[in-house]
Amino acid sequence: MKDAYFASMTNRKKVLKIANFILLCIGSLLFLSPLWWMISTSLKTMKEVMSFPPTFFPTDWKWENYLKTWEAAPFDLYTINTLTITILVVIGQVIVNSFVAYGFAKIPFKGRNVLFAIVLSTMMIPGFVTLIPQYVLFSKLGWVNTYLPLVVPAFFGGAFNIFLLRQFYMTIPNEMIEAAKMEGASHFYIWRKIGIPLTKPAMATVAIFSFNGAWNDFLGPLLYVNNENLYTLQLGLQVFKGEMNTQWNYLMAGSLFVLLPVVILFFFFQKYFIQGINLQSGGKS
Amino acid sequence: MFKKGMLFSLIAVMLLLSGCAGFQVGSDKGAALEAGAEGKVVVDFWSFWGSEIRRPVIEKIIEDFNNSQDEIVVKHTFVPWGDIWTKELASIAAGDPPDVVINDIKATALRGQKKQAMNLSQFLEKDDISERFYPELWEATLYEGDSYGVPFNTDTRILYYNKEAFKEVGLDPEKPPTTWAELEEYAAKLDKKNGDTYDRLGFYPLFGINYDVWMLNAAGQNVVDNKGNVEVDTDINRQTLDWLLGWKERYGDNVINSYKSQIDSQQSNPFFTGKLAMFVNTPTFNTQIRDYAPELDFGVAMLPESEPGNGHTSWGGGFVAEIPEGSSHPKEAWEFIKYLTDQDAQEYWAVKNYDNVANIKAAEATAKNAEMSEKDRIVYQMAVENMPNTLLTPTPLQAPDFPTLINPEIDNVMLGKKTPTKALQDAQAAVERLVKENQ
Repeated sequence: MKDAYFASMTNRKKVLKIANFILLCIGSLLFLSPLWWMISTSLKTMKEVMSFPPTFFPTDWKWENYLKTWEAAPFDLYTINTLTITILVVIGQVIVNSFVAYGFAKIPFKGRNVLFAIVLSTMMIPGFVTLIPQYVLFSKLGWVNTYLPLVVPAFFGGAFNIFLLRQFYMTIPNEMIEAAKMEGASHFYIWRKIGIPLTKPAMATVAIFSFNGAWNDFLGPLLYVNNENLYTLQLGLQVFKGEMNTQWNYLMAGSLFVLLPVVILFFFFQKYFIQGINLQSGGKS
Repeated sequence: MFKKGMLFSLIAVMLLLSGCAGFQVGSDKGAALEAGAEGKVVVDFWSFWGSEIRRPVIEKIIEDFNNSQDEIVVKHTFVPWGDIWTKELASIAAGDPPDVVINDIKATALRGQKKQAMNLSQFLEKDDISERFYPELWEATLYEGDSYGVPFNTDTRILYYNKEAFKEVGLDPEKPPTTWAELEEYAAKLDKKNGDTYDRLGFYPLFGINYDVWMLNAAGQNVVDNKGNVEVDTDINRQTLDWLLGWKERYGDNVINSYKSQIDSQQSNPFFTGKLAMFVNTPTFNTQIRDYAPELDFGVAMLPESEPGNGHTSWGGGFVAEIPEGSSHPKEAWEFIKYLTDQDAQEYWAVKNYDNVANIKAAEATAKNAEMSEKDRIVYQMAVENMPNTLLTPTPLQAPDFPTLINPEIDNVMLGKKTPTKALQDAQAAVERLVKENQ
């Protein structure tokens, strides 16, 4: 009697598990379908892209679309350019913001809260308001048509990242800092030897967000770079879009390539991605 | 320590790698050398023509210009469509703009008024090239009598019809509809109903174009003219809306929406497959038919007139080549613009891109160009013939954003939320208020 009861329960559990699994599969397929649409479009001829009813699988798999896309613009150069900017931005954002955040969290000084409020308030200014003044400023510095306007600001801190890292630093007990100070450590030393190791997860989150931001940045390179040899991938993709027609198959092939590093990054750092989202929505993980 | 060292060497390597180009301040001189321009003036030219079709054409024109003289070198930069003007605006504000930019013809006067584009009268006094272009296009470049841009290309709206379908229902394939009444009559004949849906739709006026083109077609003038007169709440516009509503009632929302989504997605057009018998679009739509439905037997015609004798008024747009205010080489820029809009360059552009050009002689020559197929020539000829009917809707200085006030009202009419009378009254009042605010 008892055995049968347990057997039916494990059965019930099994059924539930399978149902769960099927439901999740359907959900994943549903969410993957736009990606599949992208892939299938990238492998079609333009004629098939335009045909009605639309085909879910390409009738004629045009793998050479990828080659043609790659040749339509100097994408290898654009990749190097984009990587250069992205890597420098990530380095700047991670190090500088961590440093500033440490200061706001652990060094008591007069006017700290006011200063922090000012830093945070920069988040409230919409980017478009500062667009032209910023451009004029960089132009006066003679930085237009270089990567400096894209890279240098990353070394001057960003409000959101400072806020995020400061929250992390707040969780480090003050006693720990005090103890280090007693031992004669400077704040710089404490930041490097205690701060950085303890806030690695938060720094990873900052790195990921900075990477995505710089990698996908369109407006920055658009405004500041004039020489086509300095163009980034996001600008390069635009050659497939005209005032009348769009080369959907090439655009999708190019977009997939640009998407790839972001997807790879996500696979490796899922944990930090989700952590970052938790932080963004205000909850603590 | 090791980590820190690695970091610095990484930065150093990155800077070294890219240092040559991306971090060199003041690399304009480098660009000049790159263009092979020692001792020559470099004209910085921005366009949004980066596609595999357009780019080679514009670069060939530039190459020809560069080879035609030895004082000026034009350097072409592709800037993404749409965003090019954001970038232009920023560079004008910073006082370091390029020398020639391709921009929307409709707002040329507005850019003149706002001192974004350069007044070209100083150059036109010496060489007046205004006669080259369709008068409607030239007019659009004027602000207080002076020109602020030179027309480059243009377009218009024409009626495409499926000749096979015409034959099938006993219509003469050489006699497209010429009036709104005929359009309705033909469409009714061409409709092929199948239960709740249609195997073939005769025509629907709001595919490919919007209500404003039909208002323009019926009224023969813009709803807001360049003096700030507002003509929204008129009998003609009311009749036009009633007419449009009539079509909507006839086919019903479901049919219209399913067709519209196909057309809007740009991915499949029912006209290609014979599921739509008549369709209004630009002459360059022909290239899509050529590519995606080469077997289609079709004809082209002017837009039908609302009443016999009222005129086949159509709608067009286009682009100008302009010199941004603050350009460092306006004289040389002007030389290039002159070349760009002269007959040879314009005809080359027109034939290779199958695009309508602003230069009258070039347009007429293109319609006879032996390089194009017969079908291409027929459509192009229709475009040329339609140019005198074609009105531009220049952005009125007194009410630049007026469509944002009218469009929602018309949407309400089409959704059945407002009567045409009420909607037009409200729109008229709103636009008049806007004009008053801007005066």
